[in-house]
Amino acid sequence: MNDMRLTKQDVDMQDVKISAKGVQVFYGDTHAIKDVDVEIKDKTVTAFIGPSGCGKSTFLRCLNRMNDTIDICRVEGSIQLDGENIYDKRVDPVQLRAKVGMVFQKPNPFPKSIYDNIAYGPRIHGLAKNKADLDEIVEKSLRRGAIWNEVKDRLHAPGTGLSGGQQQRLCIARAVATEPEVLLMDEPCSALDPIATAQVEELIDELRANYSVVIVTHSMQQAARVSQRTAFFHLGNLVEYGETGTIFTNPTDPRTESYITGRIG
Amino acid sequence: MNSETHIASAFDRDLEAIQALVVKMGGLVEHNISDAARALEDRDVELAAQVRAADKAVDALEEQINVEAARVIAIRAPAASDLRTVLTVMKIAGNLERCGDYSKNLAKRTAILSQMDPIGGTAKSIRRMAREVEQMLKISLDAYIQRDVTLAEEVRHRDLDVDQMYNALFREFLTHMMEDPRHITACMHLHFIAKNIERMGDHATSIAEQVIYLVTGSLPDESRPKGDLTSTSDMGLS
Repeated sequence: MNDMRLTKQDVDMQDVKISAKGVQVFYGDTHAIKDVDVEIKDKTVTAFIGPSGCGKSTFLRCLNRMNDTIDICRVEGSIQLDGENIYDKRVDPVQLRAKVGMVFQKPNPFPKSIYDNIAYGPRIHGLAKNKADLDEIVEKSLRRGAIWNEVKDRLHAPGTGLSGGQQQRLCIARAVATEPEVLLMDEPCSALDPIATAQVEELIDELRANYSVVIVTHSMQQAARVSQRTAFFHLGNLVEYGETGTIFTNPTDPRTESYITGRIG
Repeated sequence: MNSETHIASAFDRDLEAIQALVVKMGGLVEHNISDAARALEDRDVELAAQVRAADKAVDALEEQINVEAARVIAIRAPAASDLRTVLTVMKIAGNLERCGDYSKNLAKRTAILSQMDPIGGTAKSIRRMAREVEQMLKISLDAYIQRDVTLAEEVRHRDLDVDQMYNALFREFLTHMMEDPRHITACMHLHFIAKNIERMGDHATSIAEQVIYLVTGSLPDESRPKGDLTSTSDMGLS
């Protein structure tokens, strides 16, 4: 109980990293996100939970403008990253996505070597001055992805030859290679076995020291384990958002209660 | 509280089964308190022996509840009101087990006391106190079954009456012991009995507080009236 309160205080003290206000998302005629206000804290893991089709992934994809790639998708409202509107015309989505990295459900390493998987981002963003610089970034990123020890002797082997869990950690390492400030994860463990899941969860907890992490997950136990704050989405609405321990022991909204206790809601 | 059913209906059955065990345990304990107090007043050694034997069933139920609760936690990973249900079930079973033990202890002392002279009308007063505690226990369990915070609050406030009954008995025992030192042994036993019944009242109150936690998600603050003065004053006798 005391520990929970410590975490709560710890999180309350963190600055707001992303501030979304009145966000609406439409896919053609479908109103997918309805007037969502949310403040995501820095150096905190925030979990989005909710049944399929509730809008949690859609909202996550708004945070680095991944929805721009869908023609019929329209986003309204304001999303600010460190006080700057990310939907401003002057913002380059490619630069934005270097700052707001993303990891997907299915590990998707490039069909290249492990080394090139990591080096790709820093190269196109011009983050390395020379080969030695790049080597250092690759090693640092692989260490942050908690996979360095497993791949250091075969950096030039194809990334696709790794196991599922290793591939996902490689993708996380690739996402952190461009020095992002926010890391978005869409169901990062749903294709992994329990051991690989535990490794990725451990990694998420370590990443919290440097990044703001937002994770979408169908596993409520995972949300409870890895996050400090939890947001529950239902039918496109943000129903409840609060400290994870409170959400899982004493939620305020009956819809949250029904969902997390496994009742029809 | 949530009246909807779980998608996994076996989860509902598990929770209902554990709660049925608590209700059964509560019924047994109420019965034992009442029998033990009756045995004391009627100097019925045989009934006292039955109470002592009946406590085994109470202990067995507590163990069964703990095993089932651990199983539900391991298998279902309950959250929110389900989690609070499992947590309160375990605590309430603990409270009931203590009440059962106190009744058993009352019955044990009855066997000794029946060989001594009665101490005025104290056995009758003790029985009245036991009846009050039994009522509190009954109401707190009703509050639990109905998830009724108002009923639970009633129990919390009723504990004051039990405390006052205990204060009165404490004073009466002191008087009897000062009047005739031959009464000391019996009074010591009777005092332990009175104290134990007062403790049962505290356990009933604790069950009522668990009901409040179960329904609201937070325990009530420590503002209920308390009336046991025996540990803080000399009761005007020295």
